[in-house]
Amino acid sequence: MSARVIKAGPLTTVQDLGRKGQARLGLSPGGAMDRRAFLWANRLLENAPDVPSLEVTMGGFEVIFERSTTIAVVGAECPVTVDGRARESWRTLEIQAGQTLRLGFARSGLRAYLAFPGGLQVASFAGSASVVMREGLPGSLGRPVSGGEILRWHANPESLGASADSHRGLVPPRFRPARGPFLTVEFIPAYEWTEFSGEDCESLLSAAWTVTPVSDRVACRLNGPPLLSGPKVLDSAPLVDGTIQVLADGTPLVFMRDRPTIGGYAKLGAVLPAHLDRLAQARPGSVVRFVVGDPDAARTEAARMDSFFGVRT
Amino acid sequence: MVLEWEPTLETLPAFNRLLVTGHPTDWDPAGVSARLDQLMARAVSGPLPEIPCAEAIALPACYDTAVAPDLAEVAGRTGMASSEVVRLHAEGRYTVLATGFAPGFAYLGDVASAMAVPRRTAPRQSVPAGSIGLADRRTGVYPSSGPGGWQLIGRVPPSLFADASERLTRFSPGQPVSFRVISLKDFEREA
Repeated sequence: MSARVIKAGPLTTVQDLGRKGQARLGLSPGGAMDRRAFLWANRLLENAPDVPSLEVTMGGFEVIFERSTTIAVVGAECPVTVDGRARESWRTLEIQAGQTLRLGFARSGLRAYLAFPGGLQVASFAGSASVVMREGLPGSLGRPVSGGEILRWHANPESLGASADSHRGLVPPRFRPARGPFLTVEFIPAYEWTEFSGEDCESLLSAAWTVTPVSDRVACRLNGPPLLSGPKVLDSAPLVDGTIQVLADGTPLVFMRDRPTIGGYAKLGAVLPAHLDRLAQARPGSVVRFVVGDPDAARTEAARMDSFFGVRT
Repeated sequence: MVLEWEPTLETLPAFNRLLVTGHPTDWDPAGVSARLDQLMARAVSGPLPEIPCAEAIALPACYDTAVAPDLAEVAGRTGMASSEVVRLHAEGRYTVLATGFAPGFAYLGDVASAMAVPRRTAPRQSVPAGSIGLADRRTGVYPSSGPGGWQLIGRVPPSLFADASERLTRFSPGQPVSFRVISLKDFEREA
């Protein structure tokens, strides 16, 4: 089964749940920015939870299908059309041979996931098919999808009937996140939190932080009152997905999936995993507020998510 | 470091820090910190455990000015002759203190305090693969070309890092590393 990309849009990459346990090699974890949306897309097709699919950033993506198939589109609110006719997202879509699927520019959110039956057939390295552009990974693992590229997937006949049962073929509305220009993200204070001044810690919690346009898969960069009281850190320390690091000019950033493994500036803590998925959908100009989260509640939430999707995220 | 504990997914040492990663659903922070305290206590009281680390490696290094764009600046800043900087660097016995920054990059230390220099004010957009960098008390070899802000005082033949899997696994924390001076001719032959 295959399809040809007509337009790749600003940035479309192959992603799965990323490389686990490879930090000692200096490799980014990579992986879907919004894991929940990614997992829903595979679930709708009854795929294994972590098979590779496409992460379409901002939309502007167009693909023509060689054969009839069923796909799933979940995540950012991109207007979806098949041969020019409007279709819904957050569900499976039946595509006939020769039809063109288009994801228009996202009206809200930033990243949409396009899953294929059985998952995309792509190269894998260090246990993952996730593309990380800054690392010089071999072959196609180091670059985004481009126009003219042929996508192939493992045809999976059993999953083709999923859309016939409408209950199974869509994400129930109560599970679709509310989107808007304001969001609150929970984090756990850690690292050099206690070495920053009380005023700076208070600023992190009270300021309205604006997501800047230079945010990418490496980090969500924020604008607000400069936090200048942090200690000068000589040696880099290990990072996790969600680590909040403050640069020399006092601006904080939140490390995302394509982060380095270690970082050399003072750090304030880490955003909780479920909230990182939400931050992954925050467009430039969105306003972010930080609140201190509850680790126990986060663990319960992680356990629920894992058992629902049948994966250890 | 081996924690010998089921819920540990990954450990990442870097300088004087250790990241212990576990899955949130099958461990609790109190258990983690108790276990780490216990290990720390054992480490400081008893004999040091045998920590497996990779074999010592001696990297061929060319310090000819043709491949050492910042050697003169480092000499100027430290008040030493270029030949003295080279001698000090090449005589150093280093340990891998951390890997990261870029895949396969190793932070080596400590560099002799006499030649500790700050990193360049403006990083280079592209540093050639194999470049030997110097910043503060750290030195290291860029395994692939990319942006970099360290002072460049020599080069290791980039053929040592040509293979992707070798590039990633050449260094690991705790490993002893030294440099062996080679001529520009030898560098060019091996490059």
